[in-house]
Amino acid sequence: MNLNTSEIDGTMVMALAGEVDLSHSPALRKALMELMFERRAVVVDLSAVTYVDSSGVAGLVEAYQMARTNGTRFVLAAISDPVRRVLQLARLDRVFSLADSVEAALKG
Amino acid sequence: MPKSKADAEASSHLDLMIEMTSDFAQSQDVEATLRLGLERVASRLGAEAASLFLLEPDSGELVCHACIGPTEVVGLRLAPGRGIVWRTVDLDMPQLVRDTRHDPDFTGAIDAATGFVTRSILCAPMSFRGQKLGAIELFNKQGGAAFTQADAQLLRALSMSSALALINTRLVTAAAEQEGLKRELVLASEIQRAMLPPPQAPASPIHGINLPARGVSGDFYEILPLADGSIAFAIGDVSGKGMNASLLMTKTASLFRCLAKREDGPGRILAAIDSELQETGLAGMFVTMVAGILDPKTGRVVLANAGHEPPLVRGRDGFRAIEDGMPPLGIAPDLFADGCPESVVELDGGALYLFTDGLTEVRTKDGAMLGSDGAKSLLDAFAAMPAAERLAAVVRSLDGVGSLRDDVTLLVVEDRRLAAKGAFERSYAARPETLGEIRATVARVAGELGCPADMAQDMVLAVDEACQNIIRHAYKGGEGDIVLHLDREDDLLVIRLMDFAPPVEVAKIKPRSLDEVRPGGLGTHLMRSVMDQVDFLAPPAGIGNLLQMVKRISP
Repeated sequence: MNLNTSEIDGTMVMALAGEVDLSHSPALRKALMELMFERRAVVVDLSAVTYVDSSGVAGLVEAYQMARTNGTRFVLAAISDPVRRVLQLARLDRVFSLADSVEAALKG
Repeated sequence: MPKSKADAEASSHLDLMIEMTSDFAQSQDVEATLRLGLERVASRLGAEAASLFLLEPDSGELVCHACIGPTEVVGLRLAPGRGIVWRTVDLDMPQLVRDTRHDPDFTGAIDAATGFVTRSILCAPMSFRGQKLGAIELFNKQGGAAFTQADAQLLRALSMSSALALINTRLVTAAAEQEGLKRELVLASEIQRAMLPPPQAPASPIHGINLPARGVSGDFYEILPLADGSIAFAIGDVSGKGMNASLLMTKTASLFRCLAKREDGPGRILAAIDSELQETGLAGMFVTMVAGILDPKTGRVVLANAGHEPPLVRGRDGFRAIEDGMPPLGIAPDLFADGCPESVVELDGGALYLFTDGLTEVRTKDGAMLGSDGAKSLLDAFAAMPAAERLAAVVRSLDGVGSLRDDVTLLVVEDRRLAAKGAFERSYAARPETLGEIRATVARVAGELGCPADMAQDMVLAVDEACQNIIRHAYKGGEGDIVLHLDREDDLLVIRLMDFAPPVEVAKIKPRSLDEVRPGGLGTHLMRSVMDQVDFLAPPAGIGNLLQMVKRISP
């Protein structure tokens, strides 16, 4: 898993790439939680994620819940097919805010 | 003057003793040293002839080992009885016979045989602190005089010092022999291990393992592919321990390798081995042995048993012992003259276990023997593992069970027909870092078993989630193994995951309600979503957890 965070117009864009499984999800969760504690608006770019499992999804769910409590934006952008499959299976595709691209997420 | 003469004599006697002790210390050849010592003594005391006798422990006789003078009596044996030498040894005192004509113990036997005329004798025991080794006997002082009391004292001192030197030499020799024997044992054990079959390929239907309790083993096993595609195998245990047993074991194993190619069926193989062993004579030793032949194409095994522990068949309904058999090999001639009965076992997807009594007689921690039931539980505990790993795991767990007193040898014969169709089984460390490798493997094998690409991806997800559950909930982050099994039964893909952790309460990892958006419990839901069926099966022998997931492969 590769994790890159940059700031665009006040929003934190976290780009994830590769496989997000149990050996990487703790790092993802930690990075997301730090942003949530800072009450940042966050867009997660999932276009280059080739695999995600329940532990990776759990980190996203936890961030989503904190964002809702904080009243900050939390958007999943450009989700790849493997991510879409897992979100559908978990019926979370209806829960998260989804955007087709990072640009669309920043505009929205 | 007399005093200084005595001093000079004493000092030269001391020189002689030092010389003799030094001879013994430097020499490798005890006989030559004894002769040299005797020469020095005879010349110093002016004897016409001398001989040195040593007690031979086995016969209890005195044997002449060195001799000086006109007659040659080396090798002469004196049975216990009369005679000056025996009197010296018996009394453990020097005997001075000034005139042999007046001594009733003088037999004159040697004189009669050799023509030597013995006038006087001085004989001193070679002994040290009551340990009797023999005696040194001198004949006829040169110049016609008799031996004196002073001569007797000197000879006693010299013979005592020879005795001490001889004891030392014998100790050193014994230690060297012991060391040599130890080295030979190590070598023999290495040769023996090299003779056992090499580790078999994972796909082989037969695997074996041998764990010697000490240097050399009396156990053996053989795995021998035959020209017609069948595989001959054998397990055996030679009575007794140590070098003899291991030599007989080596011979029996060689006979099996040779005869298995020639004889038709395991019964004839055992009868032929028995007949060969009878011809050489085993001096009270015997061999228990099972020989068998597996036809991998049918899963049928033909077995013959000569006095060995009954083999166990593990089928769907549990274990069954194959009790038929004959007495051990090498017991009596013609016992196998009418052949040896054979049993036919249809493996039918199951496994046949053969073992030596080292397995069943291993002591558990409470001191009881493991026994047949204990052995069965152990075999079942690791049933989900691939065969070679399973045998290693069983043997490893014996260290935990108790102490190994006997060699342990274990052989498994499996029906691999299903596996030949593409079943996959492998053991992985239960760690997050291993998950990537497991996913890659599942993707590949599922594809090979006929799953379309998107279905294979779902299988990857299900296995990954199941492995996470094992890592987190079964092993709770501790060390352990996961055995992954993938198989196709008709149009069903069957995935089994086995761990060796304490049983998990399934209710605790039941799927969450989807109305409830929270992390956790999601993995089990994902598994159930992509699979047609997810079941926790009863773990074999109550150890570990066994999860089975089934998915119909749609064309």
